[in-house]
Amino acid sequence: MLSASHLSICYGQRKALDGFEIALAAGEIRALIGPNGSGKSTALQALAGLAKPEAGTVLIDGASIAAMTRREIAHRLSFLPQQPTAPDEMTVEQLVRQGRFAHVGLFRRYRQQDEDAIGWALESTGLAELAQRSLSALSGGERQRAWISAALAQEAKILLLDEPTSFLDIGYQIEVLDLVHRLSRERGVTVVMAIHDLNQAMSIADRISLLEKGRLVFDGSAADLAASGLIERVFRVEGRFVQISPDGPPHFDVHLKRWAEPVALSA
Amino acid sequence: MNTIAPAARRRHHAYLLPLLAVLALAALALAILLGVVDLDPADTLAALTGHGSPEARAIILDIRLPRILTGILAGIHFALAGLLLQSITRNPLADPSLMGVSQGAMLAVSGFLVFAVYSHDTGSTTLQELPVQWLPLIGTLGGLAAGGFIYLIAFRRDLGPLRITLCGIAVGAVLHAIGIGLMAGWGSGRLEVLLEWFSGSLYARGWQHALFLLPFTVAGLLVLPVIRRPLELLRFDATVARSFGLAYRAQFSIVLLIACALAASAVGVVGPVVFVGLIVPHMARFLAGQQSRIVLPLTVALGAITMTLADLAGRLAGGTEEIPIGVVTAICGVPLLVALLRKTP
Repeated sequence: MLSASHLSICYGQRKALDGFEIALAAGEIRALIGPNGSGKSTALQALAGLAKPEAGTVLIDGASIAAMTRREIAHRLSFLPQQPTAPDEMTVEQLVRQGRFAHVGLFRRYRQQDEDAIGWALESTGLAELAQRSLSALSGGERQRAWISAALAQEAKILLLDEPTSFLDIGYQIEVLDLVHRLSRERGVTVVMAIHDLNQAMSIADRISLLEKGRLVFDGSAADLAASGLIERVFRVEGRFVQISPDGPPHFDVHLKRWAEPVALSA
Repeated sequence: MNTIAPAARRRHHAYLLPLLAVLALAALALAILLGVVDLDPADTLAALTGHGSPEARAIILDIRLPRILTGILAGIHFALAGLLLQSITRNPLADPSLMGVSQGAMLAVSGFLVFAVYSHDTGSTTLQELPVQWLPLIGTLGGLAAGGFIYLIAFRRDLGPLRITLCGIAVGAVLHAIGIGLMAGWGSGRLEVLLEWFSGSLYARGWQHALFLLPFTVAGLLVLPVIRRPLELLRFDATVARSFGLAYRAQFSIVLLIACALAASAVGVVGPVVFVGLIVPHMARFLAGQQSRIVLPLTVALGAITMTLADLAGRLAGGTEEIPIGVVTAICGVPLLVALLRKTP
């Protein structure tokens, strides 16, 4: 499906990604976690062929991404960056239609299969009613769903999402995760998503990759991650993993320091 | 399944394009019929078909018609160049002068004229006696050179839209300063005629000017269907556009080249007519609303109409001493821009 080996990327002098490795199975959901600036976005950009690696290769179905045109890549892989921007007056449907560019190209008319894909993308993100609304008139959650919808319309077998749940309230967060899970299980879409919420990552992902300062320090299941003790070291937090249900994922419970209240208040 | 019905959405604004086509024809008719010299409408019509009095034929066929057509073509050039530049730089204030194209053309023309005056030294005192037939070509080359220079600088720094705009402003300012300095330092009374060109004018533009512009216009219009979809995608971040499958760098370069060629050729022929490239795309977007498909044809139609009417106004208002079209567009452009800005959320 999608794999990368020895992937290194430099921004000037700084090594943003250092020897990154990943191998994904079809339909797998992979969570990419790590502190701010640990290289999650860079790793996604490299996997999407958007950042040129200093060393290493990215392969889609065995073929090097470096040798593919943007359209060939877009056929196989769709990538949603963090907080993308669109022209203000654009409507939801117009945005989602852009997702078909890889299929229609410069000239070809939109066929029934294109319209179906657009309709399906709008339906699955619950935006069919809002299709004619302009993007500037949407709430943050609706706008994020519109972008996901555009990525879905691309009908690629690989979906890369850079923090798709950030800035959404818990309701929309769960909706997005739900959608991701459905895509993976019903359509066999392979998903890689950078995500900050550890517990969401552990509950949705089949495997988890943990990055620290551009280096991959863990690649495995949530249970193994819980046993490794890496979370507390990498994120510099205290806490413990608890098993809420016997066959469910582990849950990380952060330990918050309780500071003593000022004397005047407690008196 | 939510099947989208494009036909239904298109019908929504279906009256707009025919309306503008009618308006364009009306403007054309007015521009032919009206002028400093009062001609009998019947005589004018006869002249158009090759009959009528010799005087009417001379005025209509040799003066008014080529001038109007030059204006229409130049208007289309400015408007389209503005739209393309605004799209790819994602800057609503972009126009040919912001990209240094106008200033490049201006510097080339003034440099050429200074050179011509000193090398000929025939005692020529008017622009007409100088080798003016070269001006359009010189201006076009100058504008293209400026655009190409800015492109090269920005290309090495990875083509950020903001950077390319800032480069354009900086390079434009330098070229402008040199051009003005050339005139001020070496300028004799002979070069005062240059001022007329600098303000943007259609005065004494003939068939050769229209024919000079025509290949650029035809090429520009023919290429529009090819760049229509890339142009939509170029309005997004590079990352997003590339994710959707656009060869960003190549398409950006193609569109920039088209914009520079259109702008430079127009500036070369009529001088820097300000505000047309800036405002017409905004008018088109305002009229089109969410119908992004019709923005391109609207821009073409409005560019032609605006230029024709502005030139007509300049011809009629000034009497024998006509007001250059660049002055008319500047005066009318400001309130229009303010009005459009108020409507924009």
